[in-house]
Amino acid sequence: MAKVCPREKAAGSEKASVAFFLLLMCVSCFSLFSSCVSHLKEAKVHYTQGQKYSRLYQTQDALGSFKRALEEAERVVSKRPSSQAYMLKGMTELKLKLWQDAEESFRLAHSHGFEKGEEWAQQVSLLGLALSLEELWVEDSSLRIYIFLIEKSKFSPVTVLAAQRYTDVMLKRALLLEGKEREKLLASVLKAVQKLSDGDLSCGFYHYLRSQILSHFSDYGESFESALMAKELGLPTEEILRDNDLQIVYCYQKLKEELSPEEWEDFRVKYMEWVKKWNWKGPEAPSWQKER
Amino acid sequence: MSKSPLEKTLESGISFLSKIFPIKRYLYFPLLNASLFWAIKRTKEWKEKIFSWKVWLDPERVQQKPDDFILSFFRDHPDLRRCFGPEIRKKDMTSLRGSFARLYPILGLEDPFLSALFHEEMKSNDYRKIVKEFDQKVGQAEKDISEAKNQSQLIRVLKDFAGEMVSLNLELISQEKVQKVIAEVIKKQIRSKDG
Repeated sequence: MAKVCPREKAAGSEKASVAFFLLLMCVSCFSLFSSCVSHLKEAKVHYTQGQKYSRLYQTQDALGSFKRALEEAERVVSKRPSSQAYMLKGMTELKLKLWQDAEESFRLAHSHGFEKGEEWAQQVSLLGLALSLEELWVEDSSLRIYIFLIEKSKFSPVTVLAAQRYTDVMLKRALLLEGKEREKLLASVLKAVQKLSDGDLSCGFYHYLRSQILSHFSDYGESFESALMAKELGLPTEEILRDNDLQIVYCYQKLKEELSPEEWEDFRVKYMEWVKKWNWKGPEAPSWQKER
Repeated sequence: MSKSPLEKTLESGISFLSKIFPIKRYLYFPLLNASLFWAIKRTKEWKEKIFSWKVWLDPERVQQKPDDFILSFFRDHPDLRRCFGPEIRKKDMTSLRGSFARLYPILGLEDPFLSALFHEEMKSNDYRKIVKEFDQKVGQAEKDISEAKNQSQLIRVLKDFAGEMVSLNLELISQEKVQKVIAEVIKKQIRSKDG
């Protein structure tokens, strides 16, 4: 049997230790990497689930999913920060209306190579600023920011919220005015929302806003059509869905008063087809409504 | 007489809530009703999610409705038409708009929390009382819930309650009927404790 000198033996043992250490490092790195990948995957799953719930009007489920997505995304960025992880974190924070956190996440996504991160961060920052100004009753400045975001932002979560706040503030103002001044103001809101709606026909919420504005013009035919589009395309929350249903009923009642007997009969037949499709209890009774 | 599974579930929900809110019993019905409502609306996956109940509305949307929409709301509801007759006739929009902001979420949108919070007033058709006490009562409820010492326990209790209720296949019964049973069981429980 060949003898092994002590020096060779020591060197061999040292090599084995190094190999073991490297192996340990590899295993740790791999497990860290795979744990990050799995957290990122989890975050994406929860985020997608949240979006799905939002589309089904299950607001609270959606919130739950977004909270879970945020927890997972936070785990990823603490262990293995990347543009993708920060972007997902920012998107989730937006859904949870955590404006400042979202802004910071998009900035960090940009610093990790996500090109649009800086632009998104700026837009979120502007939106957060406008909301704060509105709370401080500095409405004119907040309105200017909302208009800027409606016209310039290509980031839909920001555009939708800016459109909502802009419409709310402007309608509130319109109610304080009369005659031509009122009409002029309403026309400008309608124009802004119309532009958004034309640019993204599939967004039910823009149609909902349009329907609300049109009812201030007493244009019940158009308001009805927009509310119908909104219902068919989907709305973000249960209460908006219900409000939209009540708008449909309101327009139906007004058109009953306004239309000629022939026009009314034509409208009524088509309307009843929708009522059947939606499984309503009657032309003025949405399925969720209690009996009076 | 033996208790139905629905009554048993309700009693255990109330018993847990009484540990979190021993004095604020007025919260039992709105919390249980809202939990049940949102649980029934969900699919099975809701159990996997963090439970949070829907309570508050966006008041902005309600406040900027056109005058005619508000008038129709009061005219079309038989009880409201009776109760607010003078304002409707005079088209007193300042007063009607103020009342609308409080009544539309309850009678129009049928918010499960608010309609349970004002259950007694609605039963006695005392809509003016709802308008008068809305801000104070809703503000108090919000404060009491947010000040509950153990929020995570509260959420767990409501989640368990909603899970139990869903397992009873309450989808098959109308929400109005379930709401009635919840109200009755809560009343009975409170009476037996007081007695």
